[in-house]
Amino acid sequence: MASRPTVSIATAEGKPSGASQPLPAVFGAPIRSDIVQQVHAGMAKNKRQPYAVSEKAGEQTSAESWGTGRAVARIPRVSGGGTHRAGQAAFGNMCRSGRMFAPTKVWRKWHQKINLNQKRFATASALAASSVPALLFARGHRVAKVPEVPLVIESKTFGSTFTKTKAAIALLQAVGAGEDLVKVQKSKKLRAGKGKLRNRRFRQRRGPLVVYNPETDGKDLVKAFRNVPGVETSSVFSLNLLQLAPGGHLGRFVVWTSSAFEALDQVYGTTTTPSALKKDFLLPSNSVSNADITRLINSSEIQSVLRAPKGEAKTKRVNVQKKNPLRNKQVMLRLNPYAAAYSKQKLGQQKVEAGKPTRAAATFEQVLKEE
Amino acid sequence: MAAERTNVSNDLIWMITRNQNAYLVRRNAGGGSQFSRDPLNLVNKHSFKYAGYANTKAVGVQATENGDVAVTTKKPSNPQQPGKNQVTVTYGPKTATRKIYKGVADKTAQNGYRADLREEAVARVSAIRRSQQPKKDAPASKARGVKAHQAAEKDE
Repeated sequence: MASRPTVSIATAEGKPSGASQPLPAVFGAPIRSDIVQQVHAGMAKNKRQPYAVSEKAGEQTSAESWGTGRAVARIPRVSGGGTHRAGQAAFGNMCRSGRMFAPTKVWRKWHQKINLNQKRFATASALAASSVPALLFARGHRVAKVPEVPLVIESKTFGSTFTKTKAAIALLQAVGAGEDLVKVQKSKKLRAGKGKLRNRRFRQRRGPLVVYNPETDGKDLVKAFRNVPGVETSSVFSLNLLQLAPGGHLGRFVVWTSSAFEALDQVYGTTTTPSALKKDFLLPSNSVSNADITRLINSSEIQSVLRAPKGEAKTKRVNVQKKNPLRNKQVMLRLNPYAAAYSKQKLGQQKVEAGKPTRAAATFEQVLKEE
Repeated sequence: MAAERTNVSNDLIWMITRNQNAYLVRRNAGGGSQFSRDPLNLVNKHSFKYAGYANTKAVGVQATENGDVAVTTKKPSNPQQPGKNQVTVTYGPKTATRKIYKGVADKTAQNGYRADLREEAVARVSAIRRSQQPKKDAPASKARGVKAHQAAEKDE
């Protein structure tokens, strides 16, 4: 790594402030969608609340089997008379008002243990992905007008005076995140299914995630942003994979305050210096130092030491007109490489040019016919 | 990709996003067809070659609301700055179509930009131009048979 790339810091108006920050080492972490997806799947399960059907459901009758000989199935049947229920089958999962098959239990394994190092890997990976514009576009964020990714805004913009939602929206629009807010607003739809009754009435897209440093920025900006649809806020010290890669899909649009951005190196360390805040954590290093394999292969260093390919690429010709090799010399040559030498040496004409065969001597006939 | 970002490449982006991305449109019709809504995709097909977001160099041709043809290309120099990354040239409705072809073909194929996309870019301009033509009314149907006779008699 020759020079460390830098990220310029934008003012509240979206203009470059002139200051810049070296890119924290987290953004060089390997982008591993498989790890992120696995960890996300585990983490998403850890907020679940247990549910189950009643222990008694479908078992609240005194049904007994009638046994054989009554020309009905041996399933337990409700005893008594005077009601339609009497004589109906009970208990079985195939029965009307019977118990369900394998009734759900509250002691199902609801939570997943995820290895801490894997969680940290996934977070670092999701952070690295959040700095790739292509992945932001692929996740659906409207970032075409954003001056730079990762987007860092001067911390002096925030502070105790930054409490109004109006100011927050104005700020996001100034830095080019306005289109993303519009996308969120337009996406609000009524949820399909029972979730509507369970306090999840609407569903909408996620907008930018604002990451701040509570030690220097304070927490007032949380109040400013919290009523903007789709916008979430998070402290640098407690970044969450569920926010950094919603649905396990990489490339969340993150808006950094400059002090939060500065703190990243302290939070995650580098590949060689351990993190100051996470015990025993080194950033994962890449298995290849340059991920652009195509460029590596086509580089002059590699191309210059490669052997020439053995054998040439051959295209099989199909559906071509059949040519008569006796008339078409090129086709003949392709079929019979000897034809060239044959015609060059005039082997075909030899007998003609030799003239007519000489007549055999008279004695020959005599010898032939001798008795 | 960016010279400065060593952990990212176009191929990597494609491998991460090929199964799921915001532009991808999947339908069961046609044996599971896959299309793309990417504005920088010339044939609206979900494939690495045409995926504008995943390639450092990409060309997009779009019709605008006021009848123009907008040709967008990506600058390979600053991939980290989406705001400055795209160059758009618009051709008004009065520009000769062949002139647009020339402009688009030069933009895609010259200077080693994306010669493999030239044909598709020109074809897309052509398709957009055709779609922008005012639609001609169908000619009035001629009277046939008895009605034709009656009309002829009336004229006399």
